[in-house]
Amino acid sequence: MSVIAVEALTRVFRSRSGPLRRPGREVRAVDGVTFTVDRGELFGLLGPNGAGKTTTIKMLITLLVPTAGRATVLGYDVVGQAREIRRRVGYVFGGDRGLYERLSGLDNLRYFAELYGVPPREQRTRIAELLDLVGLAGRERDRVERYSRGMRQRLHIARGLLHRPQVLFLDEPSIGIDPVGARELRATVRRLVDDGTTVLLTTHYMFEADELCDRIAVLAGGRIAASGTPADLKRSVSSGTVVEVEVFGVPDGAIARVHAVPGVRSVVVEERGQAQNLIIRAEPGAEVTHAVMGCLDEAPVGRVATREPTLEDAYVELVSRS
Amino acid sequence: MSTLRILFVGGIISYRALFAWLSPWISIPVFVLAPLFQILLFAYVGRAAGVGDDAFFVIGNAVQYASVPCLWAMGSAITGERQQGTLPLLLASPARRVPLFLGRSLPVVVNGFVVAAVSLAAGAAALGVRLPLSTLGPLALVVAVSTFSCTGLGLAMAALSLRVRDTSVVALIVFGVLLMFAGANVPVDALPAWMAAVARWLPLTHGIEAARDVAAGVPLSGAGADLVAEAGLGVLYVAVGLLALGWQERTSRRLATLDRF
Amino acid sequence: MNLVRLVGVIWWLNLKMRSRSAFDGFMNILWPLFFSTTVFLMFRSTGAAGGALLSAAVGASVMGVWSSTSTTASSMLQQERRQGTLELVVAAPAPFGLVLLPITLSMATIGLYSMVVTILWGRFAFGIDIAVRDPWGFAAAVAVTVVAIGVLGFLLAVTSVRYRTAWALGSTLELPVWLIGGFLVPLAALPDWVRPISWLLAPTWGMAAIRDAAEGRSPLVDAALCLALAAGYGLVGALLSRRLVHSARVHATLALS
Repeated sequence: MSVIAVEALTRVFRSRSGPLRRPGREVRAVDGVTFTVDRGELFGLLGPNGAGKTTTIKMLITLLVPTAGRATVLGYDVVGQAREIRRRVGYVFGGDRGLYERLSGLDNLRYFAELYGVPPREQRTRIAELLDLVGLAGRERDRVERYSRGMRQRLHIARGLLHRPQVLFLDEPSIGIDPVGARELRATVRRLVDDGTTVLLTTHYMFEADELCDRIAVLAGGRIAASGTPADLKRSVSSGTVVEVEVFGVPDGAIARVHAVPGVRSVVVEERGQAQNLIIRAEPGAEVTHAVMGCLDEAPVGRVATREPTLEDAYVELVSRS
Repeated sequence: MSTLRILFVGGIISYRALFAWLSPWISIPVFVLAPLFQILLFAYVGRAAGVGDDAFFVIGNAVQYASVPCLWAMGSAITGERQQGTLPLLLASPARRVPLFLGRSLPVVVNGFVVAAVSLAAGAAALGVRLPLSTLGPLALVVAVSTFSCTGLGLAMAALSLRVRDTSVVALIVFGVLLMFAGANVPVDALPAWMAAVARWLPLTHGIEAARDVAAGVPLSGAGADLVAEAGLGVLYVAVGLLALGWQERTSRRLATLDRF
Repeated sequence: MNLVRLVGVIWWLNLKMRSRSAFDGFMNILWPLFFSTTVFLMFRSTGAAGGALLSAAVGASVMGVWSSTSTTASSMLQQERRQGTLELVVAAPAPFGLVLLPITLSMATIGLYSMVVTILWGRFAFGIDIAVRDPWGFAAAVAVTVVAIGVLGFLLAVTSVRYRTAWALGSTLELPVWLIGGFLVPLAALPDWVRPISWLLAPTWGMAAIRDAAEGRSPLVDAALCLALAAGYGLVGALLSRRLVHSARVHATLALS
């Protein structure tokens, strides 16, 4: 049974400008997105900033009403049955905000335990359990204003789990956390999924999605550019080779010429300070390096390397296409 | 740049840049409604306590409330310059300092004057207080001098509280002091001796007295002493403010805390 | 979900937060003290003693309860939004209005500090001795007034969220409620057309109940009227907050970005 079902979900933002608040530009943050998530799955929404990941999550946790399309969580409609959804899902987002600074970690948890209707008898043990789980036991009486970024994030996770949600929505949870903390976070998430919680995670870290998720949807420009298991996505790019050329000043028209080289599938340019990194995907068996160098005229060239394609290449390509 | 240009153009530009409260959503509640409510509040309390008459409270509170733009505007003008880092630049040439700061104060004084005038008119209308036409000219002069001296206090206050993170708190306290001491709602003579003594050194005290005299028909010459005192206090506070700013700038240069300054 | 417990816990935790800023507390006490001192000076200057002064003194002490609510309430939702907690509160299953109400109740409760300070100040600086004939009735009337002011703040919070400059609205309403609520002058002294507005203000009845108890009359009727009006406000506020949340979900105004 699908725990999350999204069908042609769309969200348009209209900015109002001027003193008369006349309707201004329209932004289609999410544009006809369709996917499903099954029970016990760890589903990843991957995409760059501004792709529409946060907007999608907010519609699913009933903070935003979709402009068009439908979505259900645990069978409840996100527009009409918001309360039923809110009781059963948890929401954790990255960053510093979202906590009451002047209260201790413990009081913050008590606050939200009350908001989520955790039975009073259960609150104490549940809070203690969660503090242990996220590693904040012993620091819970300190005021949140003294917490580090990592501690706040851990408190957020504890907060999200207070009411034993069936579905957990994680919005860029490892933003700004040190690598050790992030690794612990991922381990915690994995454990939750093993225990039966369904998790929908958004991230712009490729490796995180690759490592954690059972299935991924790549979101770019409000649309799904590709979806499937990490293995599926890798397979779609595993044929062929990738040539990386470091150029100091790409001449005009060179990129177009490289595109035209037979055997070249795609070209992506990465700015790296003084130089540009050309990442060229080539068909299997095609020898393109020599031709590509020809297209670059007299431009100074640094490193040239040939390698196997990775999931990251697929991601960059998918995302830059939209 | 001629002195006059520095005075006017610099003043208006900095004022607009630092002053977002030209929005009617703020200016009407804060500059029109609030002083009117203050006038009404104290007029009714005055009736219950048997103090003064309605005109007493209309004039007293209208002038006292002008301290809101005078103190806050001056405060935010100075701290605004400080935040933007232009304050040391402003103080760089002592010869230009006076017209420069007078220029920045001018829009504030005008703002204060307009607020006082509007509240006076609104309060008088609401309570049915008659202000004879002949008194309006002298009244305008007295109010102008009062807002000038209060702006001077604002400058001094801002200069002395540069270290304070939030000058609006200091402004709040000064507003309260003026409310209690400046004779807006209690005749200065009826205050305890020590309060009256402090009051005579505060702006608005003399101005309010002069305004009440003038509104009652006393010729301008009769209120002369108060007018001169008020103007003199204004000059004194401006001088204190400029000196304090100069001193701060010199010490921060010595201590290399220019960015903090 | 136990709704009474919800309101109680949220009220308590907000009270905790509010009492942790010594600075805010100081300003909350100082500001109304400027006004009450001026009022005391006015009465003192004419040598007025007795009924009018005592009545004004009792009312002056309650001024701070409204002060600590009015400006803070009008910018409350902006504050929650800035903190990032507004979204989390909406995303929770608890009814939104029932989470907002205890927050404004805590603002009014904190105003009790100001009340105590003002009474002591009147006593020791001005020799105004407020003798309370019915201490229990007085305490109950004060509690009822705090609730009424808190609920009025709730209404204010919910209606002013649309305006970016909501704080200006809240601070402008500070003095009118003192005047129209009969805190400082008897309602009879106000123009006739103001009277119905005063009657519709819940705190007016709470203030009357406080005076009743201080002067030895039964505060029951006034207190009951106060609570009834407050309940009405609460209902209106609850309905408005539902519409508010729906509108925010449609127009995406819950978050800062």
